[in-house]
Amino acid sequence: MSNPGKPSIVTYGDYEVITPPHTLRSAVTELPPGAEADDAVARAELALSELSENFPAWMNAECERLEDARAAIHRSGFLPQTRDGLFHAAHDIKGEATTFGFPAVTDIARSLCRLIEHTLEMKDIPRELVDQHVDAIRAIVRESARGDVTDLALALTRRLRDVTEEFLATSNRHRPDYLRDVIQTG
Amino acid sequence: MLRIEFNKLRFLVVDDNAHMRRIVRTLLHGFGTREVYEAEDGGAGLEAFTHHMPDIIITDWVMPIFDGLELTQMIRQPGANSNPYVPIIMLTGHSEKRRVIAARDAGVTEFMAKPISAKALYERVLNIVVNPRPFIRTKTYFGPDRRRTTNANYVGPERRNGGKADVVKPISLLDKAKIAD
Repeated sequence: MSNPGKPSIVTYGDYEVITPPHTLRSAVTELPPGAEADDAVARAELALSELSENFPAWMNAECERLEDARAAIHRSGFLPQTRDGLFHAAHDIKGEATTFGFPAVTDIARSLCRLIEHTLEMKDIPRELVDQHVDAIRAIVRESARGDVTDLALALTRRLRDVTEEFLATSNRHRPDYLRDVIQTG
Repeated sequence: MLRIEFNKLRFLVVDDNAHMRRIVRTLLHGFGTREVYEAEDGGAGLEAFTHHMPDIIITDWVMPIFDGLELTQMIRQPGANSNPYVPIIMLTGHSEKRRVIAARDAGVTEFMAKPISAKALYERVLNIVVNPRPFIRTKTYFGPDRRRTTNANYVGPERRNGGKADVVKPISLLDKAKIAD
C-alpha cells in the first residue's frame, strides 16, 4: 500500500509543517448507519487465547534465560556483556509475564531492572540481591498453581522492592538530581 | 462508524524476543492483517523496512545492534529513505515518563507500554490510520507533531517561532465521520 508521494510543506518562522499524503486512507471504510460492527479486537483476543497454551513453556524458557544470565555473572562477574544479558532477560520478563499469565513476577522483574539500571558502578550491584530477585521469580513461576501464590508473591515483591530502593537511595546519595529526577519520579 | 481494512495494511514487527514477535503477529493476524514481516534487531529492522516498505512499524525499545530508539532516529531522516513518515509504534517494557518523552522526541508516532493487549494495539493503529498527524521539521526535530492538544493555559517557553504556534490539526477521517453523522 505504501506510496509516499509528495508531501505538502508550509514554512513558518523557524519550522516547517509537513503534511504527508494520507496513504493509509484506503484502509478505512465508513460503514453505513446500522451496519454490524466489526469486532477486530475480539477476533485478536480469541487468536491470542488459542496461542496461550504455549505461555507456561515460554515463561519457563524466559526464566531459564534469566538464570543463564545470572550464571554468566557468577562465572565472569559484572561485565558490560553479562550485565546487559541480565538486564535484557529481566526486562523481557517485566514486559511479558502478565501476558503469559504470571503477573505476580512483573514487579520483581521491574525491581531487578531498576537495581541494574540505576546502580552507578556495575561492580557495586549486590550479587546477593540479584540472586534473591532471580530465585523469587523462579519460585513464583514454579509454584504458580498454589492457592497462596499471590500472597507469597506480594510479600516477596514488597521486601525485594524495599531493599532495592533503599540500596539505590544510599548508593545514589551523591547524585541528588539523579535520585530525584530519575529514580524517585521515573 | 469506521472499519479498518487490516488486510490492506502491511506491518513490520521489530523485536529481539521471538515470543513477543509471535504474540504481536497473532494479534495482527487476528485483526485481519495478512502481511506481517519480522526482524529481530534494529539493524535487520532497518533492512526489512527498506525492503518491504511496511505501512506501520511496531518496534521494541531494548534490542541488540541498535535499539528501537536508534531505529526510529535512522528512519526519521528526511532524504535517507523513501518513507521517513512511516508511522512507528514503540512497544516496550519501559513505562517511565522520561522514556515516553525520549521516544516522542525521537519521532515515535505512538507509545505503547507492555503488557500488550489487543485493545491497546487496535487503538494505536486506529489513531494512526484515521487521525494522522502532520510532521514538524525544526533544526533539532523531525517527526510527528508532538502537540496533540491545545492548552490555553500553557505558560512555558515557546519552542516554535514565527507564528502559527497553536496545534496544527487537519480534519481527520474520524472528525469527518462525526460531521457526517
